[in-house]
Amino acid sequence: MSYAVGDALPPFVVTSASPAAMRDWSVFLADPNPIHLDVDVVKAKGLGDKRINQGPMNVAFMMNMLLAAFPGARIEAMDSRFLDNVYEGDHLTASGTVTAVDGNHLTCEFQLDVAGRGTVNSGTAILII
Amino acid sequence: MDELPPAPVVAGTSLDGTKLFTITAEENAALCRSTGVEPAIDGSAHPIYYYVATQVAMGKSVAGICETCEFDVDDGPMMGSSGVRFAAPLMVGESYKVTGEILSLVRKLSRKLGVMDVLTYRLRLHPAAGGDAVLETDNVWVLPRKELAA
Repeated sequence: MSYAVGDALPPFVVTSASPAAMRDWSVFLADPNPIHLDVDVVKAKGLGDKRINQGPMNVAFMMNMLLAAFPGARIEAMDSRFLDNVYEGDHLTASGTVTAVDGNHLTCEFQLDVAGRGTVNSGTAILII
Repeated sequence: MDELPPAPVVAGTSLDGTKLFTITAEENAALCRSTGVEPAIDGSAHPIYYYVATQVAMGKSVAGICETCEFDVDDGPMMGSSGVRFAAPLMVGESYKVTGEILSLVRKLSRKLGVMDVLTYRLRLHPAAGGDAVLETDNVWVLPRKELAA
């Protein structure tokens, strides 16, 4: 399989950000921050009326997109910027593009978009294929 | 900016952990499935464990880091960015330990957030048995300083 600059990566779609997954991640991260668990707390803090996804889970979605695009590859480096929150029920699409090819190293730009709201995460990654 | 009080001096604060983090097959599978994928069959863990393992096994909790920065975690720290460099994949069944430190805390004035402190810290994940780090990660958090709002 060969890759070229400009290649679009197949998107990774999450049809609905899940409160159950947020509960799981509060355990994985040992972080009981109630904005991920309790709508009343989110409202009380003035952050909206839906639970907020943990940021690292959003990074995991983008990693899933990258690893699915290049079976057998591994991520050597990755930088992610957090631009906005993901809320329960959001429809997410992680996508990316090859921006450089150097031997068995690929550089990609990627982003995570929420339907109707735009990009909430973006960044770059280097993969070893 | 000159009239703002300086940010607390915290650069160099150790974040070395004292406990080990083991990536179990059960938790890796649950984590993978919570993100919509099956666990890898080659024994590698989901790479997002770079963040999970370092956060859980570093020497301070998120609330503890905030306290070091004289910031109340209930005031809502926000993730700004996260970067990682892997020297090797993370493996299921392996145990790891964390070293790290706060790199900087810089006070800024944002049009959107008002006064905020930008916290940068670096963590490394090492095999529990010893040896070079398998990854290094830099995380940037934004700490909005509501009490310093104009």
